[in-house]
Amino acid sequence: MLLNYLQVINSVIGLIVNMLVQVISLRYISNLGLLKSVYVGAVTGLVSVCTVETYISMSMFQSLNKFSATLIANFIIYMSLCYCYFHFINLGETARRIRILREIYDSEEGLSMTEILERYNAKEIFEKRINRLLNNGQIVDKNGKYYIGNPVMLLIAKVIVTMKIFLIGKKCECECE
Amino acid sequence: MPRRQTKRLLQILLATLIAGLVSLWVISKFSITYSLYVPNNFSEYLHIALFFISLTLAYMITYSAIEVDSPSLLMIMAITEAGLEGLDKKELEQKMSDEILIKPRFEDIIIHRMSYLEGHKYKLTRKGSFIAKIFIFYRKILNLGKGG
Repeated sequence: MLLNYLQVINSVIGLIVNMLVQVISLRYISNLGLLKSVYVGAVTGLVSVCTVETYISMSMFQSLNKFSATLIANFIIYMSLCYCYFHFINLGETARRIRILREIYDSEEGLSMTEILERYNAKEIFEKRINRLLNNGQIVDKNGKYYIGNPVMLLIAKVIVTMKIFLIGKKCECECE
Repeated sequence: MPRRQTKRLLQILLATLIAGLVSLWVISKFSITYSLYVPNNFSEYLHIALFFISLTLAYMITYSAIEVDSPSLLMIMAITEAGLEGLDKKELEQKMSDEILIKPRFEDIIIHRMSYLEGHKYKLTRKGSFIAKIFIFYRKILNLGKGG
C-alpha cells in the first residue's frame, strides 16, 4: 500500500533530489555555472527516479510490463517537472516582470515609472542580452555590425515565431490583433 | 482573447482534469470498460492527476514564455531581417526601447494584479509581494544577483 503511494510520488522525490543537488553543486563547485548545475541536478534526479522505481518494482514483484509502464509515466512526469524547475530558475535570471517586481519590492515607498526606468531599463537589458548572444556565438560582430553567427539560433527563433502564430495568432506583441 | 489568459487556461485545464477523472470513475463503477484500462485504486487516480498536472504546468509555462516577446528573440529577428548587410549596433539599440522591452511587461504586472498605482508611485499587491519574495528567497539560496 505504502509502496503504491511511493510509486506515485517518485517523480516528485526525483525533483526534490534534483533541486537539492542543483543548489549544492552551484554553491560549492567552483566554476560550474548555472546551466551546468541545472544539468547535474536533472541527471541526478533522473537516477533517483530510476533507482526508486526499480526498488519498488522488485519489492512488489511487479511484472516487466507494469514496471516499464510506470517507469515511462514517472519519466514523463519527472521531465515535465524538471522543465518547470528550469523555467523557474530562468524566470529569476531573465524575466523582466520578476525584475520589475523586485525593484518595487526593494523600495519601501513604491516607485514611480521614472524611478523604475532609472533602476531597470531597455539599455541594461540590451547590453546583457547582446553580450550573452555574442559570448555564445549566436551572433557575431564584424566591424560594428551584427550578423547571425549560429544558424541553429535562427532556426530556434523561427520555431518560436511559428509557435507564437499558432498559439496567439501573431508574430509579436507589437502587432495589432 | 481574455486579458488574463494564463488564469483562463488554468481553469480550462483543471476542469478537463476533473471531468476526466470523474469519467474514469463512472466508467469503472458501471463496468462499461470493454477493453479500456481503468484505475482500480485511489493511488492510480492520484498518479493520473499528477501526470496531467505536470504536463499542464509545462504547457502553461511554455505558453506564458511564448506569449511575450523575448528581447533575445527580437534581436535575432532584427538581425535576420537586416540580412547580408548586417545590423549596426546603434540601430539595433534604438529598436530595443523601453516602450518595447519594459512597458508591455509592466502592463502585464498591472493586468495580473501584482502592482497598483497609489498617487504617482507603484506599489506591490499581496500577490506581487509574494511572488517577489519567492524569487528573492530562491536566488539568495542560489547565491545569485538580481537577474533580469
